[in-house]
Amino acid sequence: MGKIYAKNADFVQREVAGECILVPVRRQLTDINSLYVLNETAAAVWKRLDGKRPMQDIVGDIAQQFDVAVEQLEKDINAFIEDLLRIRAIEEAPS
Amino acid sequence: MEQKRLTLIPERFPFLCQWEITCRCNLRCVMCYTDCFNRPDKIREELTTDEIVRIMDELADAGCLELCLTGGEPFARPDFFAIYEHAKREGFLVTLFTNGTLITEDIADRLAALPPHRIEISLHSLTENTFDRVTQGNGSFKRCMRTIELLLKRNLAVVLKTTAMTMNKNEVLAIRRYVSGLGSVGYKLGVEMRPTLDGDDSPARLGLSPAELLEITRQDPELWTEACRKQSQQMPPCESGKRTFHIDAYGRLQLCSGNRRQGYDLRQGSFKEGFYHTLPTFACPFKAGLPASLIQVSAGHV
Repeated sequence: MGKIYAKNADFVQREVAGECILVPVRRQLTDINSLYVLNETAAAVWKRLDGKRPMQDIVGDIAQQFDVAVEQLEKDINAFIEDLLRIRAIEEAPS
Repeated sequence: MEQKRLTLIPERFPFLCQWEITCRCNLRCVMCYTDCFNRPDKIREELTTDEIVRIMDELADAGCLELCLTGGEPFARPDFFAIYEHAKREGFLVTLFTNGTLITEDIADRLAALPPHRIEISLHSLTENTFDRVTQGNGSFKRCMRTIELLLKRNLAVVLKTTAMTMNKNEVLAIRRYVSGLGSVGYKLGVEMRPTLDGDDSPARLGLSPAELLEITRQDPELWTEACRKQSQQMPPCESGKRTFHIDAYGRLQLCSGNRRQGYDLRQGSFKEGFYHTLPTFACPFKAGLPASLIQVSAGHV
């Protein structure tokens, strides 16, 4: 949770009809279904990834905002970060 | 993270824009409805780069996701890549409608580096003679076929489409078979001959009769299925202006490309005002009937 992540500028965040979407601009999408739609917590994480703040700060922020248990939140956010790393939407920044 | 789907798009939401960014074109296709405005005085009236970028930002702010750039020939605009790259950076899913004849190897590389959602190319014929007679442009067939090769080599998503008319009616099925052999390439058959934008109905003389169209479509299972679907009494009423809309080369917001009787000037007013308050007041003869069903767009999740 002490790690810092920076967004890949080739992923653009869009708000569409109340949904937060990640559009990979350099990838050929097979169809609209290959877009990434973030749930509320994931969107809150994505918006805070700035290449400067450590994840523990971000988790603390979000735990306050959504009034949820930190343990479950950390688990969810770790899974989300793993997903983002897998699709190369983020990379670890030097701390 | 729980699974999430992009599902409930409101009944009125600016999801998809078809934007005719120019009436300029290097070809003079015999059935073209925009070529009448491919002349210097009308070109001077077209939106500038800055105006297009400003309106595009308004579309993005309103939540528009799919953007189809068409013409005329979009690549005939000298600022095409400024427009296209801005659209991509804004996160639009960009579809390009093109005649394919202005795409060089360098342009294909540039597209591959920032791929469009889809590129749709007009393929009028598989013979140079017919193709170049339709486009009235010598060498257009060879350039178009070369472009298809360049784009496919770069794994870009390509759809080929033919407008069936008197000049190519005996070639439509051969084109269809050719496209089927290209693997992932999609195919669309158009049958509509529109009056030109200045009101001349002469393209209609090039159109096929219902019997001629029937003769073609019944010989191909997919074309036949599509023709039957269009003929069906179950066709829902026209949804244009609700989740889809059109912008012409001069910045007028309209219900659709085929209905330009009324327009809202995006040079003067805001997009949201035009879309939510003015567009719903525009007339369309195909709008009566059943309530719209909701789009169910599913999407992956991270």
